[in-house]
Amino acid sequence: MNIIETEALTYAGILHYPPLRIMEGAVTFLTGDSGSGKTTLLRLINATLSPEYGHIFYRGEDTRLSDPLELRRKVLLTGQSVFLFDTTIRDNFHMYYEYRDLPTPSDELIDRYLSLCMAPFALDSSCNTLSGGERQRVYLAIFLSFGADTLLLDEPTSALDRHLSDSVFSNIVSFAKNSGTTLVVVSHDTELVKKHAEFELNLTNEVRR
Amino acid sequence: MNGIVELQIWQFLSVYLLLFVVLGIFLKMKLNQTKKLLLSSVMMTIQLIAAGFVLTFIFERPHPAFTIIYLSAMLVFASYQVVSKNRKLNRKFKISIVLSLWSSGTLVLAMFVGVIVGVSIFNPQYTIPLGGMIIGNAMTGINLGMKTFTESIATQRNKLENLLNLGVDPKRILLPHVNQALETALMPTINSMMGMGIIFLPGMMTGQILSGTNPTTAILYQIAIMIAICSTVCLAVFGALIFGYRTLYNSRKQFVSFLQES
Repeated sequence: MNIIETEALTYAGILHYPPLRIMEGAVTFLTGDSGSGKTTLLRLINATLSPEYGHIFYRGEDTRLSDPLELRRKVLLTGQSVFLFDTTIRDNFHMYYEYRDLPTPSDELIDRYLSLCMAPFALDSSCNTLSGGERQRVYLAIFLSFGADTLLLDEPTSALDRHLSDSVFSNIVSFAKNSGTTLVVVSHDTELVKKHAEFELNLTNEVRR
Repeated sequence: MNGIVELQIWQFLSVYLLLFVVLGIFLKMKLNQTKKLLLSSVMMTIQLIAAGFVLTFIFERPHPAFTIIYLSAMLVFASYQVVSKNRKLNRKFKISIVLSLWSSGTLVLAMFVGVIVGVSIFNPQYTIPLGGMIIGNAMTGINLGMKTFTESIATQRNKLENLLNLGVDPKRILLPHVNQALETALMPTINSMMGMGIIFLPGMMTGQILSGTNPTTAILYQIAIMIAICSTVCLAVFGALIFGYRTLYNSRKQFVSFLQES
């Protein structure tokens, strides 16, 4: 069954998307040259941008008519720019959860998500002292822990080396399969796409006119 | 108590000698601001001479219309200053800044002159100088508050976008930045209230004492003006931001660029 469908979608007069179908529970990669509208598509799907024309249906419902905040909590976008607060890992979970009005998960649960993302760091360690790759894994762990219905991942492993990138992504896929989460991933990493994509939507030459 | 000693023109002109000392240091140290120093001294002199003539003219013919015109001119000038420092903001944000400046300034001024001093609010001798102090401070406060707000939003764009992606209401995302700007804008006023009377004697009080006013009366005026300034700055900055920050997101809870589309 399709979880996301788009119809005659255009953005700002320059991006014209073909009709897109994304399968529920599957791993779908969006590929294409930079400037082909991959990030914009993710932002249109989670309604942080509105299309110029056309429709996006999430589980059959036109997203224009749904509450944008609820939609974003179900269809969670993990952006390509990592953001962590200038504090410890535990406090980062705490602050992100506070913004969502949710209780902070237990230390055990936080540890589980951190190890899922290959970030087995002490919860009291300060995020300022982590490297770029370490920060990206902590950031992924936080967003993963919200248990969204669909995860939109924009370049999730861009700061990781090939080996780590593959391990982290394999873990994310098995987590998604266990929880029935749909993954929509933008990545430039061809190895990652080759190994993990169940579907690939290439936007190059189709979108920009 | 005696009235103030009138300054004789030749004695007065000798104060410009002090300016030459400053100029000498600027030139010696090759500071870039030499031109600006000269320009600002000349401008100050011309503007104050003009203001002196205008005020003398108005005081001799205290018609309400003159007071209103003078006050409006101050408000227009202050609005222009604030808007020109925030040229890139969207239109609605600018409107909310100007409206808050006007309404908070006139409200507190009317209360000060009409209730605290207890004279007609069209009395130029009170309304014009007190209006200048109140509006001038409101302008500085708004400038500081807006600078803090726009800079914090621009530097923390990534945070704002990540929280938006997480499904957090834009209102909730922006409010901490509003609070921070309000605090920053009020800090100078609050700090100067702290040091007042011990570290320095404030300008208005000094002026009144020099002109022969009883110090007890002078301090009452000073306390009143400080509280008036503090409340005007607070109202002006609060109003500008609380109506302004709502222009930064739309009904679909998306951020709209806080810079004007052009």
